[in-house]
Amino acid sequence: MPGIFDRFSNLMGQRDAILAGDGADPFQVRMDDVISQTEAIIAGKRTILCGTNNYLGLTFAPEALKAAHDALDAFGTGTTGSRVANGTYSGHKELENTLCEFFNKDHAIVFSTGFLANAGVLSTLMGPGDYILMDADCHASIYDGVRASQAEIIRFKHNDAADLDKRLARLVDKPGNKLIVIEGIYSMLGDKAPMAEIVAVKKKHANTFLLSDEAHSMGVLGRYGRGLPEEVGCEDDVDFIVGTFSKSVGTVGGFVVSSYPDFGMLRLVCRAYIFTASLPPSVVASATVNLGLVKSGGALRTRLMRNAKVLHSGLSEIGLKVASDLSPVVAVVAPDPQVAVAFWRGLIEAGVYVNLALPPATPYGYSLLRCSLCAVHTEEQLRKVVSIFESVAINLGLIERKVRRSAVG
Amino acid sequence: MTANGEPSADTFAALHELLGPLNKTGVDLKPETRFSEDLNFDSLVVMEFVATVEDCFDISIPMNILPDITTVKHLALAVEKIVKADRG
Ligand SMILES: Cc1ncc(COP(=O)(O)O)c(C=O)c1O
Repeated sequence: MPGIFDRFSNLMGQRDAILAGDGADPFQVRMDDVISQTEAIIAGKRTILCGTNNYLGLTFAPEALKAAHDALDAFGTGTTGSRVANGTYSGHKELENTLCEFFNKDHAIVFSTGFLANAGVLSTLMGPGDYILMDADCHASIYDGVRASQAEIIRFKHNDAADLDKRLARLVDKPGNKLIVIEGIYSMLGDKAPMAEIVAVKKKHANTFLLSDEAHSMGVLGRYGRGLPEEVGCEDDVDFIVGTFSKSVGTVGGFVVSSYPDFGMLRLVCRAYIFTASLPPSVVASATVNLGLVKSGGALRTRLMRNAKVLHSGLSEIGLKVASDLSPVVAVVAPDPQVAVAFWRGLIEAGVYVNLALPPATPYGYSLLRCSLCAVHTEEQLRKVVSIFESVAINLGLIERKVRRSAVG
Repeated sequence: MTANGEPSADTFAALHELLGPLNKTGVDLKPETRFSEDLNFDSLVVMEFVATVEDCFDISIPMNILPDITTVKHLALAVEKIVKADRG
């Protein structure tokens, strides 16, 4: 009798080959204590966190902690119910109102995670006879969502507005609605969508809508943290914005906002909204408070970008291949998965945590040491991260030691 | 064109040319060659290959039909069907 997991034997072989050798398992990191937004105890060692997507460092905001504690005491540890049954408290409604105000949109729907928001919205927004045109580098939750949709799914080349235009032009005689799906900042390399160009393409074609997943750009871009559409100045042209509370907002949860008429209809048809329990009241309270801090967080955004510059230029200057443009995601490319694992192990042993990202989850088949910055990283921490990257890379023979002018003797 | 029809030699020739550089197992490319079993294509290679086929024929191949395309012949038939629908 074949084993249930026999069909994964290739994958298991690959995993064993990649993880061969001594050292920690990059996929089983355990934080035993969290000292701050930027430090934790991992395997008994004080470690700088440089891969948490906690861009603004709001996970310990005193105002949010207090609101969460109050909600916990008042409403308990969980709702034990779906949004459409017993799982909508006044806090959930207040959070949705806060989101409407934050984004200047008429409707907001809160889901239990960003993954579920994408899965729920993308599986239901378009129907039979409609078309979804998605950027090929979109997140797994977008792929899962569109796969469950009845629409025809067409991928366009990553960040290529001309390719999108060409594909829309082929559909010119098709009567269905068309939905373009992009991300504001792409999670792996931190590159931005060419949003102005994509909006121009959208406007050229009839019955065409735009959805942007602002998971990594919310809180990071725009004067008030509304993401790439705010930065580019095209908020009215983005018909649907999906987002998450699990990055800049510093907690967990997902949402979609839109001013499209009757948008609230989705509450009746999104299975990912209906058939799962709602967020606990403490999480809802901290998200609501942190949205205010995101909005007024201009100073945090400035510090975040300053930190991004320090790490980006630091890692480039020591001779590492940094795949991303300047952004709060700084992805270092390793030559292959084995070297990436060895690199990651060297970093963690020296007290630096980053994300290890391997194909097929990465674009271009890259093996990545993916760093993400936090507004409250200190310059000293980041210099230490760069110097640890340098010694590990030298040990692996990836770069040569730079002779520094300041070095004496 | 039906699923049982025979794709043209031109379509095959074009697909063979595109497959050449991706044929790491060195199998003989035939209409019944399977992408996953015979050519060892993983999801990443499939995505790359689909993109080159789309460029070559100037078409969009919807993701929805990919699970049904397991052999070179399936792909040739799908491509011809899309080309015909696009160009009328
Ligand atoms: C682009 C993108 N969309 C959606 C998500 C899902 O968000 P969540 O963590 O809230 O499920 C993530 C991150 O995990 C992401 O990177």
